[in-house]
Amino acid sequence: MNSIFLVLKREYLTRVKKKSFLLTTILTPLIFPAIIFTIVYFATREKESRSDEILVIDESGLFSNAFDITSFQFTYIDEDVAEAKKNFGDKGAFGLLYLPNVDVQPDKIQFDGFEFYSKTNASMGSLSSMERAIRGRLEDLKLDRSGLDKEVIDNLKVSVSLNSFNITDAGESKKSNSKLSFAIGYGTGFLIYMFIFVYGSQIMQSVLDEKTSRIVEVIVSSVRPFNLMLGKVLGVGAVGFTQLLIWFVLIGVLSTAGLTIMSGGGSDAIMEAASQQVPAEAVEMTQQQVAAAEIQEMIASVPVVKILACFLFFFLGAYFLYGALYAAIGSAVDSIQDAQQFMFPIILPILAAIMSMFFVLEDPNGGLAVTLSLIPFTSPIIMMARIPFGVPDWQLALSMVLLIAGFIGTIWMAGRVYRIGILMYGAKVNWKTISKWFTMKV
Amino acid sequence: MNILEASNVTKNYAAHKALNDVSISIPKQSIFGLLGPNGAGKTTLIRIINQIIMADEGDIVINGEKLHPKHIQVIGYLPEERGLYKKMKVGEQLMYLAQLKGLSTGEARKRIKHWLEKLGLTDWAGKKVEDLSKGMAQKIQFIATVLHEPELLILDEPFSGFDPVNANLIKDEIFELREKGATVIFSTHRMESVEQLCDDIALINKSQKILDGTKKDIKNSFKAHKYSVSYKGELNGLSTMFNVLESQQNDGLSESLIQARNGESPNELLKDLIQTVEVHSFVEVVPSINDIFIEIVEGGKS
Repeated sequence: MNSIFLVLKREYLTRVKKKSFLLTTILTPLIFPAIIFTIVYFATREKESRSDEILVIDESGLFSNAFDITSFQFTYIDEDVAEAKKNFGDKGAFGLLYLPNVDVQPDKIQFDGFEFYSKTNASMGSLSSMERAIRGRLEDLKLDRSGLDKEVIDNLKVSVSLNSFNITDAGESKKSNSKLSFAIGYGTGFLIYMFIFVYGSQIMQSVLDEKTSRIVEVIVSSVRPFNLMLGKVLGVGAVGFTQLLIWFVLIGVLSTAGLTIMSGGGSDAIMEAASQQVPAEAVEMTQQQVAAAEIQEMIASVPVVKILACFLFFFLGAYFLYGALYAAIGSAVDSIQDAQQFMFPIILPILAAIMSMFFVLEDPNGGLAVTLSLIPFTSPIIMMARIPFGVPDWQLALSMVLLIAGFIGTIWMAGRVYRIGILMYGAKVNWKTISKWFTMKV
Repeated sequence: MNILEASNVTKNYAAHKALNDVSISIPKQSIFGLLGPNGAGKTTLIRIINQIIMADEGDIVINGEKLHPKHIQVIGYLPEERGLYKKMKVGEQLMYLAQLKGLSTGEARKRIKHWLEKLGLTDWAGKKVEDLSKGMAQKIQFIATVLHEPELLILDEPFSGFDPVNANLIKDEIFELREKGATVIFSTHRMESVEQLCDDIALINKSQKILDGTKKDIKNSFKAHKYSVSYKGELNGLSTMFNVLESQQNDGLSESLIQARNGESPNELLKDLIQTVEVHSFVEVVPSINDIFIEIVEGGKS
C-alpha cells in the first residue's frame, strides 16, 4: 500500500511541477473564449470589409422588393446579363443575381434559369435565403393567379409553442430544457472522451519511459508490478483531476463574472455606459438581462448535484478502465510507434461512443442508448449524455455496477500483461504474444 | 551459515525451461560468483530471488526463512538492464528509490549525503540525470542499490560499461561492504573479475547448474598437473611419465608445457629436468576460471 502511494506521489509531483502543466492548466480555460473572440472578431471584420451589394437583373419585373435579407443590399439594374457578369465586380458589388423571364402558370412546379454570380463563393446560408425569397414570391404569385385570397391563406397559418415539463417523483412539474440537457450531455461526454485520450497516453508514455530508460527492473525489485501500475494510473489520474478542478474553478469564476456583467447586477458602470448609447442597444441590453435570467433559471432546473456526482463516478470509472489498458500497451512495446497497432482496438469503443452520442441525444431512452450506456467500454460517455434527460434508477445502478466490474476486470487483465511486458526488451510483440503473456505464470 | 539457499528451483517459460532443478547455497559474507554464458538462466534465478518472478518449483530460503515480500528490504539489486529516470534530479531520484525500499525520509537523506560525498558526486545532487556522464549515472545506480544497506547485494554484470577507474572504485566499495557484513552475489559471464573478486562460484549452463564450490577447490579439481618450464639446453631423455605438450624458443631460452601423466609430484619432474637441462623457471599451471568455463561450456569435461 505504501509503495502504491510512493509511486503515485512521484508520478503526481513530477508532472505537476513541470512548467508545461502550469501553462496548459491556466491557459486552456482562457483559450476557448480567446478563440471564440478571435472568430467573432474576424467574422465581423470580414463583413465590414466585404461589399454587401448584390445587383439584380429582374427581366420579368415580378421580383421587385422580393429580397428582404438583412445581410445584403439588393440593387435592381437594367443591363444585359453578359455585360453585367463582366463588370459587377468593378462596380464594387459582391454578386449578381439573374432572374430571367418566367411564366407563372398555376400548374407549373419547377422553375429554372435563376442564376447567381460571384467572385468568391457565396455562403450556403445566403444562397438558401435568396432561394427562399424567390420561392416565396413565386408561391404568392401562384396563389394570386389561382384566385385564392391571400388573406384567407394567411389566416390559415397558426403558431404553436410546446412547453415541455418533467414530472418528478414528488409530482412536481419542472420546466425541462432539452437544449441545456443536450449541452450538458454532450459536454460531459466529450470531457470524458478527451480525458481518456490525453491522460491514457500519458500513462502509456510513463510506462514506456520506465521501460526504455531501463529503470523498471530496479523499481520492480522494490514494488510489485501490479502496485507500480496502479500507482501510476492513480498518480496520472490525480494530475488530471487537479487540472480539471482548476479548470472548473476558473471557468466557474469566469462565467459567473460573465453572467453578472450580462445581467448588469453589481456592475452599474457598465449599465451606465450602455444606457448612454443609442436606445436600440439599450433594448438589447434588457434582452440580455432576460437571457441571463433565463440561463440562470435553466441551470436551476437541472439536477446539478446528481449530474456532478454521476460525472465524477463515470469519469473515474472510464479513466481506470482505459488507463489500465493504456498501461498494458505501454508495457508491451518498446516505442510509441509500436504502440499504434494496439491502440486501435482500444480507441474503437471510445470512438463508437462519441459517434453514437448524436443518436443517443436524439433519443436518450432508445434501445441503442440503453445498450451502450450499460456496456462498460461505452457507458461512461453514453450514460453522461443520457443523465440530463433523466435515466431510470435501475439502469443507472446497473451501469455503475457493470462499470466497476469492467474496470476491475481490465485492471486485472492489464496487470497480467504488464508484469511480463515491462521486462521484455526487443521482443516482437503481437496480439498472440500478449495473450501468451496473459496466461503465463510469473 | 548460509544467507541464501535455493533448492531444486525450476522455472519454465512457454517454450523453454529457463531453470532446471538448480540448487545453490551462498555463505554469509562471501562474494559469490554466479557464472554462465548469456541465456543460461542467471537472470531468471536472480529475478526469482528478487521476487520479480516466481519459481514453478523449488524453494528459496533467506536467513532461514522462506522467501517473503519483506525480504525485498534485505536485498539490493543492480540489474543488468539498468537505468534511471532521465528527467529526475539525482537527489530526488535516490530519495524515491530509498523510500521504495522502506527507508524513512530523514535516514535516506543522511545516507544519500554520505554516499554522494564518498563517490565525489555531492555537487550533482541537484542536477538531472540526463546531464550526468555515463560513469556518474552508473555510480548513482550503485548508490541506489546499496542505500538501504542490504545484507544481500545482487549485482548483475556490474562492470559492463564501466571504465577501468570506476570499475576499480566499485570493486573497492564491494570489498568494503563485504567487510561490513554484506554478502554479494555477482553474476557475470566475464571471468577476469571473477578471478579477482569471488570466494565461491556456481556455474550455470543451459538452465542447469554444472558446478559449484569455493573458487580454490574448483581450480584444484581442474588442475591437470601441467607445468610451464623455461630452460637452456636440449630437452631429451625425459621419463615417459612426462609428456611435453608444446615447446617454443624465446630469447635463447626454451619454454615447454609439460604434463605429468599420472599426477607425479613436481619434484619428480624437476629431478628429471635437472639431469638434462638448465632450469630457469618452473611453475605449475593452474587453470583460470576462464579456462574452466570455456572447457565446460564447450562441452569438454564436466
